[in-house]
Amino acid sequence: MTTNKETILETSGLTKKLGGKPVVKDVNLRIGRGDIYGFLGPNGAGKTTTIRMLLGLAKPTRGSIRIFGKDISKDRLAILRSVGSLVEYPSYYGHLNAIENLEAVRRLLTVPKNRIDEVLSVVRLTKDAKRPVKGYSLGMKQRLGIATALLGNPELLVLDEPTNGLDPAGILEIRELIKSLPKSHGVTILISSHLLSEIEQMATRVGIIAKGSLIYEDRIEKLRERSQGHIHLGVSEPEEAWKLLSASGVKASLVEGKLTVAEKNNAAIAAIVARLVGERHQVYRVEEEKVSLESIFLDMTGVEGSL
Amino acid sequence: MIGMIRSEWIKLRRSVVWLLAAVSPLFVAVIGMVELEKEADFPWVAVLSIASALHAMLFLPLLVGIFSALVCRYEHASGGWKQMLSLPVSRMQVYAVKLGMVMLLIAVTQLLLLLFVLLLGFMKGFGGDIPWSLLMKSMLGGWVACLPLAALQLFVSIAFHSFATPLAVNVILTLPNMLIVNSSQYGPYYPWAQPMLAMMPREDYGFGAFNLSMETLFIVVLGSFCVFGLAGLIYFQKKSV
Repeated sequence: MTTNKETILETSGLTKKLGGKPVVKDVNLRIGRGDIYGFLGPNGAGKTTTIRMLLGLAKPTRGSIRIFGKDISKDRLAILRSVGSLVEYPSYYGHLNAIENLEAVRRLLTVPKNRIDEVLSVVRLTKDAKRPVKGYSLGMKQRLGIATALLGNPELLVLDEPTNGLDPAGILEIRELIKSLPKSHGVTILISSHLLSEIEQMATRVGIIAKGSLIYEDRIEKLRERSQGHIHLGVSEPEEAWKLLSASGVKASLVEGKLTVAEKNNAAIAAIVARLVGERHQVYRVEEEKVSLESIFLDMTGVEGSL
Repeated sequence: MIGMIRSEWIKLRRSVVWLLAAVSPLFVAVIGMVELEKEADFPWVAVLSIASALHAMLFLPLLVGIFSALVCRYEHASGGWKQMLSLPVSRMQVYAVKLGMVMLLIAVTQLLLLLFVLLLGFMKGFGGDIPWSLLMKSMLGGWVACLPLAALQLFVSIAFHSFATPLAVNVILTLPNMLIVNSSQYGPYYPWAQPMLAMMPREDYGFGAFNLSMETLFIVVLGSFCVFGLAGLIYFQKKSV
């Protein structure tokens, strides 16, 4: 589906070594126009390092980054004109108020002054715009960070852990805001998080990074499919039933007296049950065991990753 | 470029450090008020000597350090570097504008000093014409001589996240000034001593490094400015933020 979309961002063999140790290894990201790309990984997996390279804040040891079809090492300024970002924690000048903060950034972009009022209303900070930012709550600072990222009408928005340290209400608010952006402003978004539950509710595509390597990249639906579990059958004689099913070509397994079939669709299950009943087996239970996305994520990233 | 200067201005204008620019000239004026005899033979030269000894030897190098740390402080404090450098700006421009801001603040300090010296002259009723060329040479010379130090302190201020480190470095290296200005061998090469050497009126004092001609001093000043400035710029270009 995304393959025929225009590619906005592409990295190939992106590698960063710090002190000889690779922090990011051979990462190949691909983000299409209009995607909300969830960049997932445990803390310390290399998300922020990758994002800093995407923004030209750090130089890759190896590999290339192309954004809007341009190479970041050659056309950094042209690329950054259309990229808005919020990296790690919000950046702000505490002694200035929100308007002055945005004005300091606006002077470096070429956008009209009324953009400041627009972005302030998008993040609903208009009321507090004249207070020094150092007195803001974390959520307000975070929102100001997003406002700053939006200021230059970016085509690509890079948000690194935008809900970090927010309370549930703040998280919900930011999530709704982020979800609304591609629709209302036609923006492509790269959003990183260490929480799958966060990303799951916003992203259209996900990339999972662990120990510096990108171990998964696909549509969120593909990941969800993996979480559809197996069907367990509770029967009177599991062993006999297993033999019967196996003989008739159904993929089934028997572990510790528990009969499990790989089929998931309704018709197939109905056929299996009918067959068992036809052979005078007593079927007590047909139940689905769901694997949570969270545990798939844990499996992928290794349990030692902090979540 | 103009946009970036205005952006820096927005960040700077709310700072109280502005007041510091007035402290040193005020000091000079007060000391001048108390110390100077109305009948001094060359009152303007005497004022400039006080200014050199107090302002140029001690306060000016300290102020250069404070201003350099200041223009980096709000960038270090809450991720400003990160935000600024992920905008469409070149690092060379950022560096040049920061250095420019430091020199602008120094220029303000020097102008205030000039103003206070003139006020002192009027209040004390110094005789004769105002020796504009002597005064301007001293003020402007002092400003130019701050260039290498500004580049050096900006380098240190960019490199260290803390506000105190560059200041501590600066204080420690400013104090030996009193000794170093007396050495004709080392004085001209010591960035912390250069402002004083440049500001001292040359006509009648001539000891240690003060024997040096203005030309020699300024060749050294501009040479070392190029070296420190370039080193700082290269470091900044390569720095990961």
